[in-house]
Amino acid sequence: MRKAPLVSVLTAAVLAVSTACGGGSGSSAGQGGTLRVGEINPFSGPQASGGNAVHQGYQLAIDEVNKAGGVMGKKVVLIKGDATTPAQGISEATRLVSAEKVDLFVGCYLSAVSNTASETAQRYNKLYWDTNAVAQSLTQRNLKNYIRSGPSAAQFGQRAVDVVKDLLPGRLGKPLNATKVYISHEGSAYGTSIADVQRTGLTALGVNVTGNVSYDAASADLGSVIVQGQKAAPDVWVNTGYVPDISLLLRTAEQQNFRPKAIVLVGTGDNDESLKAIGAQQLQGVLVVAYPHTDMASSYAPGADTFVSAFKAKFGTPPAFPQSLSAYVGMKMLLDSLNAAKTTDPEKVRRTAAGVTKPTGSFANGFGQQFDQTYQNTKALLTVVQWQSGKTVTVYPKNAALPGAKLVGLG
Amino acid sequence: MDSFLRILVMGILLGGIYGLVSMGLNLIFGVTRVVNFAHGELVMLGMYGAYVTNRLLGWNPYLALFVVVPALFVVGLLIQRLVIQPLHEHPTMQLLATFGLVLLLQNVVLAATKGTAYSVRLPFASDTFNLGPVRLDHGRLLVLATTTVVAIGLHLLLRDTTLGRSIRAVTQDRQAARLMGINVERTFLITFGIGSALAGLAGVLLAPAYSITPGVGQNFIYAAFAVVVVGGLGSITGAYIGGFLIGLVDAFTSYYIDPTLGTAFYFLAFLWVLIVRPSGLFGQAGSERLGTT
Repeated sequence: MRKAPLVSVLTAAVLAVSTACGGGSGSSAGQGGTLRVGEINPFSGPQASGGNAVHQGYQLAIDEVNKAGGVMGKKVVLIKGDATTPAQGISEATRLVSAEKVDLFVGCYLSAVSNTASETAQRYNKLYWDTNAVAQSLTQRNLKNYIRSGPSAAQFGQRAVDVVKDLLPGRLGKPLNATKVYISHEGSAYGTSIADVQRTGLTALGVNVTGNVSYDAASADLGSVIVQGQKAAPDVWVNTGYVPDISLLLRTAEQQNFRPKAIVLVGTGDNDESLKAIGAQQLQGVLVVAYPHTDMASSYAPGADTFVSAFKAKFGTPPAFPQSLSAYVGMKMLLDSLNAAKTTDPEKVRRTAAGVTKPTGSFANGFGQQFDQTYQNTKALLTVVQWQSGKTVTVYPKNAALPGAKLVGLG
Repeated sequence: MDSFLRILVMGILLGGIYGLVSMGLNLIFGVTRVVNFAHGELVMLGMYGAYVTNRLLGWNPYLALFVVVPALFVVGLLIQRLVIQPLHEHPTMQLLATFGLVLLLQNVVLAATKGTAYSVRLPFASDTFNLGPVRLDHGRLLVLATTTVVAIGLHLLLRDTTLGRSIRAVTQDRQAARLMGINVERTFLITFGIGSALAGLAGVLLAPAYSITPGVGQNFIYAAFAVVVVGGLGSITGAYIGGFLIGLVDAFTSYYIDPTLGTAFYFLAFLWVLIVRPSGLFGQAGSERLGTT
């Protein structure tokens, strides 16, 4: 007789116990005049630093709102659930509902975890407000409790297209229809979905996409990706990946003398880990499509300076990940929506949030608020930073860049 | 033609990496019959060793091998004595125990590093020179040279020393070896130590080329298993030649077919050899059954 995996058995046991205890309704009042927000994030495992960065953003927003009187007259309390895998997404969401009696959920640094945690939240009719998971499929499930204030994979892909369309013309010495772009990406759904948007968008612009190569992010050697890139002889190289594979790719590119006029990294490559792995010299001029950094014009990102000051005061250091700022903004948007809806009922909160339109530049990271029919915030705009002398400088959109910030080293 | 030559050289250099990582794994498996799933984590520890000595002591990362290799030898002794040996009557449990070591080592390092990826920058390792249409980097050439030296050294050790003869005797028939007065447990212990030290050596030499994370050992271990099976169980020559075979299959299929299929193709070779010649291309016929009873 086959034995069920331990995780499955434990998960089933937790589910059975929690179901027996009753799931509660979406508009439950919480305990003792508090609004209990369950947070799903990886607080252990290899993605723990990302999960903690998101948590720090949430905590700052909650501190701010509690100082101003809370939400619906209640103090907001954040209760952490540590989930590094989809299975833990289920078990932690279940625990937070059954044992911690949370009123709603917020998350998550990992898309795969968001996927299962939000489905579990749906079973208990709890809202799942996503600030940082990017998988395109999350908003395509028609889940009645799901809403995303942060950007999707498609928006990451589109921003890379915007770079080629808006930022590079005039710097490459040739028109768009003569520009050659080589796309490479890690081979999971994350990299593939972003690359698909890039290929479609660039082709529609008339750009010559001379290669679209996927690779295994855990490969010990990525030389073939570089040799294919050299064969494609591109003006622009666009790559979507994770820190280790991007580091290996750029090191190999340096050794093999593959240096197109512009290199655009998508999703990562904009933090200290990349700087240490690749070095300031090799990164010089490299563009990164990223969550908004904090070096933005105050007219575009009102409150970014205040966020950095508050972050330093609370945590002792400036934010290490740009995701903290977007998590902070996502939490603020959620709490605003709860105040307006006066309930935690998922459908009512979603409709309330979707009924509000705020232009780009309304929040501290430059986001606006406009949800489409899938409850994806279409004004969660990513920015583009460029590595300049070992530091990242926001260069796009132009109104987000600080006065004096300019592109260097292209062409 | 230029591309072909470049991929050929990349495959050979990659083969050097795979050969070096699999050398210790093959030695341990050949003698003790233990499939050490944690071998990649020992490589990972070697990489962190290079990082720590570089950052804390300011050493050239390669000099770390004078600390890391002996340290990993001791780690190997401890693993054999405290984890493997108590389970010697339960081969399946030994397998699970090494898998447990994978999770233990990864998570301990994870807790210590908080998931941050570290790097060791060494200009010498990344510097290149031209050889015709091919650009070669010093780091990988050094790995290739080291793999060759290690293979020759192990061959001489096994052929010409008392310890080597003991290892070969235990490999061929541990019961007969015991009856001839060989201390089988001690031989296992030293073999595990040498295999682990070789993993540490690989880690030090690979540290400048990769981002160092708790899971980095997994980048090499699947290929190393393929090398062990294709080259020949317990065969040093097999590990050396097998490394190049797997490296070339990986490089050529990645370039000419699909970079995401490199692993799939060398595991196809792995399965084919397992079915057609279970002892591997250079293994002694029937070696896959030796020591299992």
